[in-house]
Amino acid sequence: MMHIHQLTLKNFRNYDQMQVKFDDKINVIIGENAQGKTNLMEAIYVLAFSKSYRTPKDKELIQWEQEYAKIEGSVNKRKRNFPLEIIFSPKGKKAKLNHIEQRRLSDYIGALNVVMFAPEDLNLVKGSPQVRRRFIDMEIGQIQPIYIYHLGQYIRILKQRNHLLKSLQRNRSADRTMLHVLTEQLIEHAAAIIERRFKFLNLLRKWANPIHQGISRGLEHLEIMYNASIDVSEEDNREKIVNIYNLKFSELEDREVERGSTLIGPHRDDLLFYVNGKDVQTYGSQGQQRTTALSLKLAEIELIHSEVGEYPILLLDDVLSELDDYRQSHLLHTIQGKVQTFVSTTSVDGIKHETLNKAEIFRIENGIILS
Amino acid sequence: MYYPEPISKLIDSFTKLPGIGPKTAVRLAFFVLNMKEDDVLDFAKSLVNAKRELTHCTVCGHITDQDPCAICQDDHRDRSLICVVQDPKDVIAMEKMREFNGKYHVLHGAISPMDGIGPEDINVPSLLNRLKDEEVEELILATNPNIEGEATAMYISRLIKPSGIKITRIAHGLPMGGDLEYADEVTLSKALEGRREL
Repeated sequence: MMHIHQLTLKNFRNYDQMQVKFDDKINVIIGENAQGKTNLMEAIYVLAFSKSYRTPKDKELIQWEQEYAKIEGSVNKRKRNFPLEIIFSPKGKKAKLNHIEQRRLSDYIGALNVVMFAPEDLNLVKGSPQVRRRFIDMEIGQIQPIYIYHLGQYIRILKQRNHLLKSLQRNRSADRTMLHVLTEQLIEHAAAIIERRFKFLNLLRKWANPIHQGISRGLEHLEIMYNASIDVSEEDNREKIVNIYNLKFSELEDREVERGSTLIGPHRDDLLFYVNGKDVQTYGSQGQQRTTALSLKLAEIELIHSEVGEYPILLLDDVLSELDDYRQSHLLHTIQGKVQTFVSTTSVDGIKHETLNKAEIFRIENGIILS
Repeated sequence: MYYPEPISKLIDSFTKLPGIGPKTAVRLAFFVLNMKEDDVLDFAKSLVNAKRELTHCTVCGHITDQDPCAICQDDHRDRSLICVVQDPKDVIAMEKMREFNGKYHVLHGAISPMDGIGPEDINVPSLLNRLKDEEVEELILATNPNIEGEATAMYISRLIKPSGIKITRIAHGLPMGGDLEYADEVTLSKALEGRREL
């Protein structure tokens, strides 16, 4: 199974210089608040995705008044060891896979597969659509690097297009040929993105529903739907999706110019979750919403296993204490012995499970690992 | 502060060049102080001449010391074929190949709404005029294979299509002499898209 056996941090958040060896099964990181537990989890996440889930600004990862921050991890995947390294400086970031710098991040992301479960993920169901889009984008990205390329292109074209729409808003009679060009470019990537999201959802459903039934003791049936900003069906192929976008964009052209912004596309889409036919976001109890979030995360682990051939690394940041005993033991039971897991918590008191007895314990105080 | 004024001005000038940071600028400036006076004069003269004597060709937009440029004046070249590029450096790259016998049109940039660059800010209007006056049969769009280069090519193609002139886009794909296994996925998928029957 995939695992990190050593992690080295330099000037990362509150860590000056730190090297630590991990167990390939369960690692429990214990510390009071603001000592560096989450920073350590974040470091592993950043090593996998080359960016943080906590901030869009890479600069914040560099320790105060330092020139650069560095994360190095020694990873074992498919029984082979290789190093990953990522350096942040005011000039930008450098990601190295097996000592070789990767110019495209899409060539780097996916080398290490990580699933993160943090308290904010409990918001996956009731939070903003952005949270759900980020979830789906991150997960597809780490199994299909080309998705990251399409997403990156899409975002840039979207930016160009919105700028153009703003200038057309000021000058309505101006020539619209360039708008049509950007629409055509946008649609190409939008269709590629949406098609891959459909495929991913199909896989996710396959895993998520049985897991959800398990956690809910067979009482709840989970359905996941894609809520697109256009009228498209998941059976539609790329060509059909392109046609639908074409029609919709020409229909909306005047309104888009009037508003000065792009009104449809994958950046406006969302996911919907139904439990026993009811929309969980609106009508679900907090318990159902949490079960759904947990099912999705566990499904993700299985999905990566089936697509990549190995279980990903699981990060449980301060989240175990948020789950009740039953969900806790369901989670720990599922990962038992097959997933390298990092659990951060202020105390192990609330967590009773045999899995934790065999865990390696690390105590953190003020950016230093004590044991 | 630590340097006499003439040398600090020289350092300042060097830092204006691309890829030259403060440390390199200091090193270059001190190197110049030790150069022979004749060499320094030649150097200064070349700088000024390059700037003063070179202009953009009024026909194709390429850099030149005569107007129209040597390529535009060359009667042995095929006037019915125009290759559209973004930068004068792209013309040099094409010329090194010694395979292309048509003419060029240099856009000096690509359309990018977020940088405030529209079609009229690059050499698109002069291209349209040229197509009206000259007998052009084929336009090869050789702008860069990124979003802005691609958009510029699509834009030009939409404008010109109705006139019936043949429009082609250079191929994207694998570099020659390379190994398939080392190609990145994006290049590989573009290469697959552009496959042809043998």
